[in-house]
Amino acid sequence: MTRQHGVGELRLEPAPHDGSGRSAGPGRRPWPAGLLAVYPAGWRARYGGELELLISDLHDGGRNPVPMALDLLRGAAIAWLSIRRGSAMPERTRNALITVLWSWVGFAVTAAWFGHDLGIYPSRSAARQIALAHPAVPDAVNVLVAVGVVGLAVTAVAAVAFAFEAARYARKHQHNSTFGLMAVPPVVAVAWIAGLQVITNGSGTGGSVSTGRLTLELLWFLLGLAGIAGSTQAIAAIVARTEFSPTTWRIGAAAAAAISAAMLVGTGATIVWGLAIRSTQAHPGSAAGWLVVTAILSVTTARAVIALIGSRRHTATPDPAVA
Amino acid sequence: MDFTEPVVLVLTSLADGPKHGYALAKDIETFAGIKLGPGTLYGALSRLEDRGWIEALPAEDRRRPYQITAAGADSLATHLVIAQQVAATGLLRLDLRPAR
Repeated sequence: MTRQHGVGELRLEPAPHDGSGRSAGPGRRPWPAGLLAVYPAGWRARYGGELELLISDLHDGGRNPVPMALDLLRGAAIAWLSIRRGSAMPERTRNALITVLWSWVGFAVTAAWFGHDLGIYPSRSAARQIALAHPAVPDAVNVLVAVGVVGLAVTAVAAVAFAFEAARYARKHQHNSTFGLMAVPPVVAVAWIAGLQVITNGSGTGGSVSTGRLTLELLWFLLGLAGIAGSTQAIAAIVARTEFSPTTWRIGAAAAAAISAAMLVGTGATIVWGLAIRSTQAHPGSAAGWLVVTAILSVTTARAVIALIGSRRHTATPDPAVA
Repeated sequence: MDFTEPVVLVLTSLADGPKHGYALAKDIETFAGIKLGPGTLYGALSRLEDRGWIEALPAEDRRRPYQITAAGADSLATHLVIAQQVAATGLLRLDLRPAR
């Protein structure tokens, strides 16, 4: 055995190909690298890029891909088991935050859209009746507006912390696609608002023009929903691929708890307010709208709360491997 | 932390200087004749990093070198001394001389 380098000296075996992450020989990623997808997201975020390069290097160095693939599957199983035992990877916190994010977006979109109907229904006279009969019951629309303000403020604070660290992590690990993902929400928002202004400023007289404009508005509304979903997915992808510091995870967990609490209040207020209407008015009309809103708010809130409780239980469980 | 074979091999390889994944794999193949799979190698690296026995250095061309820490070197030394005593005892009882 020969030692070519002394202690403390950086000894780097020349890799079979350049540092671009692509094999210089065949020019494509070896198939065992696809198995990185079965590793936990947090583990992949930390080691995935390096491991993919190693797989390419070993492949280009003549290593048989089949044993490599089996070894990767075994490594993935061990990585998942170490998470179940409570390793340092905050996998459940990460998954819980992504679940709360999606739930919150679903809740906010529902509350913003259907909450508008709740604001104009019932009529002012009926609202006065309800207020007299149930003075302790607040108007659901006011509560939903307050929930929206609190939720957006908390989301903005958490977003700054996560975006700052995600950018730093992406620069350090040369994950340039992360910057592309970070650009999705603002670009989508600006494009959608600009398009909306064009549509609303457009003149329309006559039946056929109005129909066309209505179709365009509906299309733009659906595109807006798709944009919100795409932006949320981009943020979720950033959270899934980035290794954040414990402080940032704590900020995220606190934000998720505050948002879930606000969602609980909003859902509770909507349910109580609906019941108050139905007990006050002799002919309250169809309950379909209220039931749909309540169902969506309840499901999204339940998802967020369950995910949060699940992650906290996990955090509270001591690691048997360490204990 | 258990001293599994990959953990000992990685620490031993890093004992003479920082290396990235491919350099580690080639070095281990050279001094131990063992071809560590990529999943096994990075499993050992993640456990060692969690434990604080190795630390990552800034990446170069996306390849991240690792170096052994003082705690890692102490733990490896302790383990190797015990392993040496066990090996010597085993060889003696088998009536074989330790290789020089």
